[in-house]
Amino acid sequence: MNYYSLRDFLDVLEQNGQLVRITDPVMPEPDISAAAQAAINCGHYAPALLFEKVKGYVNRLVMNVHGSWANHALMLGLPTDTTIKDQFFELDKRWPGEVIKPIWLKDAPCKEIKITNNINLFELLPLYRSNKHDGGCYLSKACVITRDPEEPDNFTKQNVGTYRIQVTGKDRLNIQPLVFHDLAIHFRKAEERNEPLPVAIAIGNEPIITFMSSTPLEYDESEYEYAGALRSEPYQLIKAETSDLDLPAGAEVIIEGEILPCKRSIEGPYGEYTGGYSGTRLQPEIKIHAITHRANPIFENLYLGIPWTEVDYLIALNTSLPVYRQLKASMPEVAAVNAIYEHGAVEIVSTKCRMGGYGKAVAMRLLSTPHGMPYAKIVIVVDESVDPFNINQVMWALATRVNPAKHISIINNCPGMPLDPSSDPPGMSSKVIIDATTPVPPEPINEDAHTIELPENTDEWMQKIKKLMRKKEDIL
Amino acid sequence: MICPRCDSKNANLLVPSPVGNEWEMYLCNDCNFTWRSTEPENIRNPKMYDPKFKLTKKKISMMMVNPPIATSNK
Repeated sequence: MNYYSLRDFLDVLEQNGQLVRITDPVMPEPDISAAAQAAINCGHYAPALLFEKVKGYVNRLVMNVHGSWANHALMLGLPTDTTIKDQFFELDKRWPGEVIKPIWLKDAPCKEIKITNNINLFELLPLYRSNKHDGGCYLSKACVITRDPEEPDNFTKQNVGTYRIQVTGKDRLNIQPLVFHDLAIHFRKAEERNEPLPVAIAIGNEPIITFMSSTPLEYDESEYEYAGALRSEPYQLIKAETSDLDLPAGAEVIIEGEILPCKRSIEGPYGEYTGGYSGTRLQPEIKIHAITHRANPIFENLYLGIPWTEVDYLIALNTSLPVYRQLKASMPEVAAVNAIYEHGAVEIVSTKCRMGGYGKAVAMRLLSTPHGMPYAKIVIVVDESVDPFNINQVMWALATRVNPAKHISIINNCPGMPLDPSSDPPGMSSKVIIDATTPVPPEPINEDAHTIELPENTDEWMQKIKKLMRKKEDIL
Repeated sequence: MICPRCDSKNANLLVPSPVGNEWEMYLCNDCNFTWRSTEPENIRNPKMYDPKFKLTKKKISMMMVNPPIATSNK
């Protein structure tokens, strides 16, 4: 099922009991963040929250749209009880061999209202401080669109990414492009010419482009073409007002502006996906030139706190899939990749082992993938029969397959993730590989390593028991 | 007006609430900190702001520039 706007998806969430309307007026602080954290605590079926009235503001706010496995399943058009592993393989089915080119619309609701004078973000968006010591209010879930200034006509090098953006004025923002992000490449090229970089920020989108915007694609892969492939139809775009940028046509709000060259000012701290505050840094400024929006726009944002919070769902399977595909291209024995923890800081790979030491080789390959190189810090490799999304099974593999002296390797002085509080210096880290696969020749095999078989017909019994449980629920 | 975070006097009203006189938002023009009149005193009061998050001129002078400013290679 495809959605063409945020509102389409909110309707489906509500029909499935996955959206809660907060009709009482709430204070921007601390109510919004407290409610978002509380919603997440509902686990697999955590709902989205639609705040109908935020005190002092005009428009509505929606939080936690992607923030549960049930909502994630609905994004993919699957039943709300779909397991993480099944969602992973559904995504794998749709992950493109061939991408689908987008189409351009001449008009869309996001152009209903145009503002070019006296821009004031606070009149449009119910902005709030997310965590107590954040430097200010943040846009945390927008799609940020830029083009490569050296190849302005190259569509696939146009980037759609999610970056933290601090509101530092009525028409001014500060943004964080880390050096390995595509946005940072675009901005560096513009700055080398001492030119501003045109930027568009799309807020409140149908869920797939937000999902793709958070996905670590290759530099010349298009998020719009991938979104088209995941939806099995061309993605709908519309042109920006002040630049040649292509925008998701279903957006609630589009902010257009420029990232200013050779200018930095204080940004942060910000409660990050690591569960801690990042430091304050001198980061680039955006001057806003125009805003277009739907009438009565809905501000979509997310809460970041001590994991798990919404962002953990948004960067879970879309971090896992590219790494899985990149490994599988040269190591076809790889069965699945779980990179859902802290943006892939901990990654669990299940694989069949071609030869002794193969588990370690898979981990080393992972540590040289574009995303794994800076982000992955702890790599655990398990047998192909172990479900890497089932932590009980992974722990069993660690408990019974790892001889620390042989199977744990530490590699020093590697690229790291600057926001990781253990990164030292920020941006560098050591890595650890834990090979929890069953030894294969020529590594000697301990005879106690022979695994017990599952009792026959276990799967049939599972279905039978589930049916019996559902009947009982009906009676109750 | 004094910034609760960096103690600069270069702070002012950013916006009143768009409807209802519910709050005012303030901005420090030196450190970009924003705060709302309805937040707790340990956010609004410079003397009560958590020392771990206070900014000093020394801290600001040592801040990392991200990304580093790119210079022309032509």
